[in-house]
Amino acid sequence: MWEGPLCPDLPARRNPSGHKGPSHIPISQRERGVLKFSLNWLREFVELPNDVAQLADLLTLAGVEIEGIEARGANFAHVVVAQVTASAPHPNADRLSVCQVDDGSGQVRQIVCGAKNYKVGDKVPLAQPGAVLSGDLKIKASKLRGVESQGMLCSAKELGIAEDAAGLLILSPEAKIGAPISELFPNDTILDVEITPNRSDLLSHYGLAREIAALTQKPLRALEMAEPRTANGSAVQISAPNECPFYSARRIENITVGPSPDWLRARLESVGLRAINSIVDITNFVMLEIGQPLHAFDADKLRGGINVRLAQPNEKFLALDGRTYQLDPKNLLIADAARGIAIGGVMGGEDTGVTATTRNVLLESAYFSPSNIRRTARELNLPSDASYRFERGVDPGMLLRASERATQLIHEIAGGEPVRETIIAGTLPAAPAGFSLRYTRCDELLGASIAPAEADRILESFGLQKLGATDEQSTWGIPSYRSDLRREVDLIEEIVRVFGIHRITGADRSRFTPASAADRRYDAEMTLRERLVARGFSEARTSALVGRQTLGSGFAKEAIELRNPLSEDHVALRPSLIPGLIAVLERNVRAGAKSVQLFEVGRVFLPAKGEEIRRLALLLCGAAGGPAHWRGAPARELDLFDLKGALESIGLGEVAFRRCESAEFALAMEILTGDQRCGGAGQLASAQAAKAAGAAAVFVAELDLPNEFETVDGARKFREWQRFPSVSRDIALIAPQALTHGEILAAIQSVREPLLAAVELFDLFGGQSVENIGAGRKSLAYSLTYLDKNRTLTSNEVSAAHDRIRERLKSEPGVELRE
Amino acid sequence: MTHPLQELRDAALAEIAAAGDVQALEAVRVLYLGRSGSISAWGEKMKTLSKEERPVVGKLLNEVRSAVTAALEESGEKLRATQEAGALAEIDISLPGTPHEIGALHPLTQMLDRAIGIFRRMGFALAAGPDVEDEWHCFDALNTAPDHPARNEQDTFYLPDGRLLRTHTSTVQIRAMESAPPPIRVIAPGAAFRRDEVDATHSAQFHQIEGLYVDERVSVADLKGALEFFLRELFGAETAVRFRPHYFPFTEPSFEIDVKSKALKSGEKWIEVCGCGMVHPAVFEEMNRARGDAAYDPEKWTGFAFGLGMDRLAMILFDIPDIRLFAQNDLRFLGQFA
Repeated sequence: MWEGPLCPDLPARRNPSGHKGPSHIPISQRERGVLKFSLNWLREFVELPNDVAQLADLLTLAGVEIEGIEARGANFAHVVVAQVTASAPHPNADRLSVCQVDDGSGQVRQIVCGAKNYKVGDKVPLAQPGAVLSGDLKIKASKLRGVESQGMLCSAKELGIAEDAAGLLILSPEAKIGAPISELFPNDTILDVEITPNRSDLLSHYGLAREIAALTQKPLRALEMAEPRTANGSAVQISAPNECPFYSARRIENITVGPSPDWLRARLESVGLRAINSIVDITNFVMLEIGQPLHAFDADKLRGGINVRLAQPNEKFLALDGRTYQLDPKNLLIADAARGIAIGGVMGGEDTGVTATTRNVLLESAYFSPSNIRRTARELNLPSDASYRFERGVDPGMLLRASERATQLIHEIAGGEPVRETIIAGTLPAAPAGFSLRYTRCDELLGASIAPAEADRILESFGLQKLGATDEQSTWGIPSYRSDLRREVDLIEEIVRVFGIHRITGADRSRFTPASAADRRYDAEMTLRERLVARGFSEARTSALVGRQTLGSGFAKEAIELRNPLSEDHVALRPSLIPGLIAVLERNVRAGAKSVQLFEVGRVFLPAKGEEIRRLALLLCGAAGGPAHWRGAPARELDLFDLKGALESIGLGEVAFRRCESAEFALAMEILTGDQRCGGAGQLASAQAAKAAGAAAVFVAELDLPNEFETVDGARKFREWQRFPSVSRDIALIAPQALTHGEILAAIQSVREPLLAAVELFDLFGGQSVENIGAGRKSLAYSLTYLDKNRTLTSNEVSAAHDRIRERLKSEPGVELRE
Repeated sequence: MTHPLQELRDAALAEIAAAGDVQALEAVRVLYLGRSGSISAWGEKMKTLSKEERPVVGKLLNEVRSAVTAALEESGEKLRATQEAGALAEIDISLPGTPHEIGALHPLTQMLDRAIGIFRRMGFALAAGPDVEDEWHCFDALNTAPDHPARNEQDTFYLPDGRLLRTHTSTVQIRAMESAPPPIRVIAPGAAFRRDEVDATHSAQFHQIEGLYVDERVSVADLKGALEFFLRELFGAETAVRFRPHYFPFTEPSFEIDVKSKALKSGEKWIEVCGCGMVHPAVFEEMNRARGDAAYDPEKWTGFAFGLGMDRLAMILFDIPDIRLFAQNDLRFLGQFA
């Protein structure tokens, strides 16, 4: 799909109900593939440009978009590690405490503190008098509510190292009292990087460093990791090879689990991950470093060997988030002889996780089927850093080396002794197959001229291996981490990413195109819209999805319902435009609008035929003629005849109206074009209108728009106008109230007077109170126009014709002509 | 010796000059030239004159008559002008003009119309497709893997029969290629639906313009030229346009386009406005399978495609802060774009 977030200034938000999971990436950013990277960490593998902005531009213009740059680190003078030695309530303030701290100066300092999250013995950052913290906060010795405070204990936010401001930053117990805080939190810059879903090779610091090295032509400092010794053994068995082609397990014995050293914690925290314990931290560290998610089991809690299998129907699994998940045979389970111990690649189990008392661990490094992981993580609503990487595909070439790297770190940090061999089962996915690049094809597709040597250099910089070449083409071997490169066009994309699209000059490539049916429809509908706007109607565009409230009500008795609506406001496809316009009326009346004239042109969805058709709807309510004006006509309300007038004058052709019955209308009419019913109109029944407009009358119309619109053959043709003068004569009459204008008109026309060219009603009044007419009667006045297209009429001829019509009207029961 | 007619003429001219208004002037006219006016009376008198006198006096009478008539007309014009000016001087031209109530086109319609107008100048015809689509048109035909994140009930609205509401107008690319062989040069404005919680920048329904151009030897340079032209027409000739490599399953190479213009509120910031790229050969291959022919031979035909978010462009162009305003249709909002 083309579109990212709709508004660039605000972060996209997806999956609002999503379970956070043990993740360092906020859900929203992860959905868009935004990850945090530490420049200090990247520098371990590649030399970076001095200017961060330059690095950001380089990556962004190569398709690795840098969305944010954030300076981190606690480079403050007079901020040191201090230990809380005592804490007592503040005598004059409930929310404050008075702490005694040791800052290595030999003197105990008294500090007033508002936080609650520490205990005596904790090590915390102390800003001594003279320190200046972020936000230009100057620290002085002062009295707080009457108690002396010689500095301030700091949160992570005050030190600018995290956004979390809840309480003091509790430092590692190993932190040296009196040490400057900048030693614990050196300066760093954190990049927010959007990784497109095809680039799983960039989901680690090593991977991004490899990309930077390729783009900057700098050497990549390779990870020194030997492949471990492996052995096949009955301790690991794969029963679901499609879902898990390869699994490895390494046992490490006699470890001591504790907090991680500061350098390790700092690495994790710099990219927003919480430190848990040394073993879990190491697995996370290796994942962030080289992209392979690992899992450590408490080996003593496993019963028998590992079996990688599909879950049983309704098999229950207690995960380390403390929740029980019900699985089905589509889900992959890592199991021991007794039970499931992890949802493969998604989440470990509660009772086999590493804890403070764990002595022996089993370290898993595996390759899981991306589509299976994606489905499971989504079904269980359990997105995690691990599933994120597995579902995009991890590098088979790094899998065992990652296991070895973690094993070494566990040995160094937790003092464990690894057993000599890693037990493996299954087969690693094969490296992607190689294929060819034709240099002329590359030039043609890009519209540029790129020398073969330059194309080769670019591909080689990404680790591709030239297997053979002629003048016209070259064949390339693809590294294990670039499974996204599958065919020639993928190589052309790599080339243009580095060559630079700014070096390609935009071309003016035009082509004549005949108008389509969609063009004619668009033009006709725009004309309709513009005519309505010129008549005072404003255009509404309401949602094609209607809410539960609307469903089942008059205009949406039947509608195509969504299988998976997100909210009660959008549950079905609208079968009519009217409910949307009524909702718009309601909003505007509530906002104080005195006159509402709306139209909408849009699609409706008819459940019976499963059709999408285009319709026009109009709605009128309130005062006619706009706001009061110094020469305004007398105030009146919009009514049925305003609605009819609009429909008659916007180019729909001849429209006729016929009374009909409808529960939704107090007064209902069919709209006819030709003899075809094309829609309905009228005054809404109060049940429909009252919520929106109270007692005010609401008039609506809705009609189908034609499927075919005029081509050039439908252009209007000139007609000669009449050359001879016409003569007008009036007829005034009194008629019973029940006799309609239509009936009077029909009576006039029934005379079939050839000279009669037009009949206009120009006056109408009546009703109970009108004098000289009488109750139940009304007075009408018509102007009749006579003409002959071949000659000037004589007065006698006109009088004769007019008299015939008068005589005919006199014969209508109850009609009385006035002189 | 002065002829009596000459005396009458001089008297008439003097009275005309003295007449202060149109009514007084009319009285003078009646007095001299009226049916029984003193100059008119000479017409009768002529009959009593001798043959010798008649032509001389006749000539004189004509001269006098036309002199007086001319003086009456001239003076009358002046008097009427003065009178009219006097009357009009009292009109208060500061009174408001007679109001004409006109409505407003929805800003999204205006945005679409601007965009469509530009693309039509570039030779694109319109194309359309249904909002309710099947998975094949929305995903499979667009080289989107069966396990792609968008293809699930959390992101896409499905109907009970398994069809779905299109998540993008790219479906119309497929519809257009199904119905005609290349070359194709179309744009497709339309609605798309995503299962997003509604907020200031998200809406369950939004609007896009899709573009597709398939022809012989269409290149990235052509794509770049077309969209640079479009964006500068829309945002102004001074707009900076930047192409960034990106990823979409149905184009390769793919790009996102950013613009920057002092004329926009965003000023010196790059803002993303478009996704685009060269039609992925896998899309042509799937199209040939569906058509049962080789009309879209990827070796012969290449093409570019793009998608523009109309809600987003309208928000940028009209400084609209919240996408929900579009669907609310408040007259105070609509009226601003009249």
